[in-house]
Amino acid sequence: MAILSSPSVCSTAFFSTVKLLPRSLSPSHKLISFSSSLSVLHIPFSSSQLPITTQNKGTSSVRSGTNSVTITAAAAAGKRKVLIVNTNSGGHAVIGFYFAMELLGSGHDVTIFTVGEETSDKMKKPPFNRFVETREAGGKTVWGDPADIAKVVGEAAFDVVLDNNGKDLDTVKPVADWAKSSGVKQFLFISSAGIYKPTDEPPHIEGDVVKADAGHVGVEKYIAEIYSSWAVFRPQYMIGSGNNKDCEEWFFDRIVRSRPVPIPGSGMQLTNIAHVRDLSSMLTLAVENPDAASGNIFNCVSDRAVTLDGMAKLCAQAAGFPVNIVHYDPKAVGIDAKKAFPFRNMHFYSEPRAAKDLLGWKSSTNLAEDLKERFAEYVKIGRDKKPMKFELDDKILESLKVPVAV
Amino acid sequence: MAKLVALQHQNHPSFSLLHSSSFSDFNGARLHTSIQYKRKPVQPKGALHVTASGTKKILIMGGTRFIGIFLSRLLVKEGHQVTLFTRGKAPIAQQLPGESDKDFADFSSRILHLKGDRKDFDFVKSSLSAEGFDVVYDINGREADEVAPILDALPNLEQYIYCSSAGVYLKTDTPPHYEVDAVDPKSRHKGKLETESLLRTRGVNWTSLRPVYIYGPLNYNPVEEWFFHRLKAGRPIPVPNSGLQITQLGHVKDLAKLFVLVLGNEKANKQVFNVSGDKYVTFDGLAKACAKAGGFPDPEIVHYNPKEFDFGKKKAFPFRDQHFFASIEKAKSVLGWRPEFDLVEGLTDSYNLDFGQGTFRKEADFSTDDIILGKNLVLQS
Repeated sequence: MAILSSPSVCSTAFFSTVKLLPRSLSPSHKLISFSSSLSVLHIPFSSSQLPITTQNKGTSSVRSGTNSVTITAAAAAGKRKVLIVNTNSGGHAVIGFYFAMELLGSGHDVTIFTVGEETSDKMKKPPFNRFVETREAGGKTVWGDPADIAKVVGEAAFDVVLDNNGKDLDTVKPVADWAKSSGVKQFLFISSAGIYKPTDEPPHIEGDVVKADAGHVGVEKYIAEIYSSWAVFRPQYMIGSGNNKDCEEWFFDRIVRSRPVPIPGSGMQLTNIAHVRDLSSMLTLAVENPDAASGNIFNCVSDRAVTLDGMAKLCAQAAGFPVNIVHYDPKAVGIDAKKAFPFRNMHFYSEPRAAKDLLGWKSSTNLAEDLKERFAEYVKIGRDKKPMKFELDDKILESLKVPVAV
Repeated sequence: MAKLVALQHQNHPSFSLLHSSSFSDFNGARLHTSIQYKRKPVQPKGALHVTASGTKKILIMGGTRFIGIFLSRLLVKEGHQVTLFTRGKAPIAQQLPGESDKDFADFSSRILHLKGDRKDFDFVKSSLSAEGFDVVYDINGREADEVAPILDALPNLEQYIYCSSAGVYLKTDTPPHYEVDAVDPKSRHKGKLETESLLRTRGVNWTSLRPVYIYGPLNYNPVEEWFFHRLKAGRPIPVPNSGLQITQLGHVKDLAKLFVLVLGNEKANKQVFNVSGDKYVTFDGLAKACAKAGGFPDPEIVHYNPKEFDFGKKKAFPFRDQHFFASIEKAKSVLGWRPEFDLVEGLTDSYNLDFGQGTFRKEADFSTDDIILGKNLVLQS
């Protein structure tokens, strides 16, 4: 493995993934054994917001900053060529970016194939506006139509394909079929925990009944039919630098402006909000342990839930502001809760049991700590000062007769 | 004392508990004799095994009320010598619904009794040191000062297995409770916490199990019974606030199995384990599950705001009005334990063997319901 920069301290922050040696795993885990010779790999990384992630570190807070990291060339021995087919918008977009960076940090070969045109306006938004970092880390970035995937990736051969784009079989089938015919060994798919049927007995665990008519379900079934080494990942909500879709920002917007935070229903609804590095680490484990991952569904979430009220409180604590939560009944107010609030108005709570049991994966999301970092970035980009309208909020508060400070 | 017993080894010692799909009344069959995950037995060749090193002289503090009833039977069936330390207020052995005469005779002939008050520390110390026990199961301990005399009396104690409580956890914004989570030194269960701390300082090999809500036949805490009374009476179920609050029930037979599994198990040494059901449940969901279990139609659920009422000293609902549940993944992954009962199965077991037989601990009391329903009726008119 080539050393990309001298071991002396550089002024730019470094990003790399610390691959902790020995994970404690039960004998049932089949790990690919790696050789143990050492080498040093530095990956220059311009943004200080993507901190060093430590896998298998429970609820440790995330560190950022300069750090040179020694990884085993064992990773090089098990080097994979990975193709990520990535959506060009929405909450899942950031998954591909983190996954790419983590794979590159572990010494794998990565190509991100983003849907659409490189020059489109969508590419000006995060995480796409950070792809320069991916390229600097040695990754390739291409654009095009997944239906024409053979043309887009050309002669390149891959060991692993992750489809982080399609929500239905029409969109994923061309990718899956092409991968199969071109000899890709492992197919991974980002599905959604939204396909679980609502239950009185949370959490959603792998194997629970899903909505038969959900688009993702059709994809999951097809992949299982045509592939022997496949894995499906069902995420929920994410926070993390480079997110394409607002999550915690929705709360920060109101909290820093001393506006009430309108939450539908009781506020007791549980949801799962993970730091995207948790998703990335789970995917990476699947790539590096294909046998253990094969044929399995993984809830791609952190191992703790949070109530909607709890999320508002944690955001306020991270920001150092008070919070005024106001509950409302969307029907009574006459608004669509989906438009007014970024989370489902119901319990939406999965647990990552398969990943823990089969991959030895551990969650590192610590909302209280992670939100502090998120808030620091929120302020750094000046979003706290940005003029904003809160039309739906105002409608809700008006109907509840809640005063809003001007 | 050594006992030469021909044991029929049904399971490989490294085998972890299987889900038993058969659903039998309690006659011990459901509580199949489990070989523990990591025993330290003598394993000579041949059909006859000397079990001396496997048989323990066990003391259970309590054992006549709920968990202990099931636990003591399991331990006796495994061949251990089991003594119950109780004041003698309840019979040492009572035949359980579904328990065969033969099984009951076998159990009652072998179970031993040490009569005393555990609050009489001098007596505890002298009687225990006179007897000498290998292992103590402390099922009814509440305060740390109750534990010290036991440890003083038994310097060679192999293991102290304590029934603690998930009530020790500090309320959290990010459930579930894991064993590593912060505890609340001011909680109602601080005696349990103080006991755990004492065990840590004394250098004894200890294991602490933290249940959430326990249910099953003979439950003395009106958990499922509370719902069954209302369902039987055809009454609506009043549930505070949204009914979305999430709780968790663990079947007493599953708990008893875990208590047995930690016996002599190195992996349980100085460890805390949450113990409960595999899935959680909303308050509304629990009402529906109880209805299913008892063969009742879907219940009418009435939500109310508890702040609008003054019930005096009476409890209007048997659960804490908050989310309260704990992850059992540590016991599952470290010890290979699995709860066998899912919620409806477990509630059905409880119903068939207890309430459905016409037995219960507390008479139905619908006074708080009537206050709630009365006011609701007024508001609707």
